[in-house]
Amino acid sequence: MSMKDPYESYTKKTHVIGRIATLVTLCLLLGAPFVIGAYLGAMPDLGAAARGFISVGLVWTVSSVVEFLVYLPMLGSGGGYLAMITGNLINMKIPCAVHSRDLAGVKAGTKENEIVSTLSIAVSSLVTVLVLAAGVLLLQPLLPVLESRVLRPAFDQVVPALFGAMAFRYYRGHLKLALWPLLLMSALFILVPSLRSQTSIMILPSGALAILLAWFGWKKERAAG
Amino acid sequence: MDVMARLNSGTMYLICGGIIAFVAAVCVIFALRAWRAGKAIGMDTSVMLKVIRSSASFSVLPAVAILLGVIALSGALGVPWPWLRLSVIGALHYETQVAHGAAEQVGIELTGDAMTARAFSTIALLMSACIMWGMVLNLFFNKKYSSTLLRRGEKKGPSFGDTAMTAMFIGLVSAYIGSYIGGLVSGNARFDLAGDPVPLCCALAAAAGMMLFTRLSALKGLKWLEDFSLALAMLAGMAAAILFRVLFPAAGNGAAAAAESAALMMGGAML
Repeated sequence: MSMKDPYESYTKKTHVIGRIATLVTLCLLLGAPFVIGAYLGAMPDLGAAARGFISVGLVWTVSSVVEFLVYLPMLGSGGGYLAMITGNLINMKIPCAVHSRDLAGVKAGTKENEIVSTLSIAVSSLVTVLVLAAGVLLLQPLLPVLESRVLRPAFDQVVPALFGAMAFRYYRGHLKLALWPLLLMSALFILVPSLRSQTSIMILPSGALAILLAWFGWKKERAAG
Repeated sequence: MDVMARLNSGTMYLICGGIIAFVAAVCVIFALRAWRAGKAIGMDTSVMLKVIRSSASFSVLPAVAILLGVIALSGALGVPWPWLRLSVIGALHYETQVAHGAAEQVGIELTGDAMTARAFSTIALLMSACIMWGMVLNLFFNKKYSSTLLRRGEKKGPSFGDTAMTAMFIGLVSAYIGSYIGGLVSGNARFDLAGDPVPLCCALAAAAGMMLFTRLSALKGLKWLEDFSLALAMLAGMAAAILFRVLFPAAGNGAAAAAESAALMMGGAML
């Protein structure tokens, strides 16, 4: 009698559930504007939507392909399905999954990382859904606090706070590796100030340089035995 | 009923809330399955609980920032649609940019006064269509791509995969920190030193916070702090941003910030 590997069956089902959930979400999201259009009595202008897609959407299409290729290895398969459905990758899901991997002490590309990543992204997404639902429910009483001139600078700086904290965690053990990408990026942003609006694209050359340096370091370590 | 009233109606909440509920249910299913699979492959449940605690505590602050995105877009699109967009698939920086681009295409400004029913449904369609490609790629390629990665990760002997992921993340962080340095040195023009110092100060304060909480969590009896270190470090960075704005109201913003600072002080007094 053959014993089925529980992890193999988990992975298989993850893909089935992930694909169904993705397909249903896609239909719901693309269908919603038409349902709302019917409710409002005015269907979307498909010509204007097509023109808009060419002017705004193509950039995001390229960006989505890059995000998929670069981030899926960090997220794992289950985490990948969830993160693409729930969004907010750079400012939430990726740091959350990477930090969880670190806390749990698991390595990328392993079964354990797959579990940790899925768990962390699912929890992060649920917390986001709950916070947003509570926020929407309590919008009127919360509005003066959230938009207060004192607190506003804090909420404007969530992403710098996140990357500052992560920088300490990751630069600490890899100072040599972090130095060159940081120097290169700082120089580029200083010399070409307009690049600041393209920070998410600049992740690619920065990441590529870091991976290249890590590769040389790794080869050197292996050669040294 | 005018368009804005209908965009904030119960029907809209029902449509958008229904989709959000579906996605929340998917998250619950994935979380439960991952938990059970983790136990089945012999993972320590205390490690999984640590992951849950850390992920939950970390996510609160970015989620509040995302809520501000809902508020920002609600003036033109009502509350339910931005609530849906930012709960499902959307990203804070994406939604605002695409909403403005889409409004341009339908020939209106993105304001509540200018909004029409047809403009809204068109903008909503464009917001959904432009960002769907990650999901489409997942549908067709996730299985093959992740299976290849897993095979490589499980291979006996040294693997570069884990190092590559750490390096990629260092690259990601460096791009953002570099942009804060560039933003300070070349705010409006090259080397004008008139940029906004707040993002860099905030990042430095968060890094110092992370150092403090990491050191504290190594002490006996304070191990629990490790799960909350990221959230607490972010709070430290955000608090520094408030302090900086109060102490140096004009930094990086010129005269406009000086005017704002007066109001800031008044707001502080009121709070």
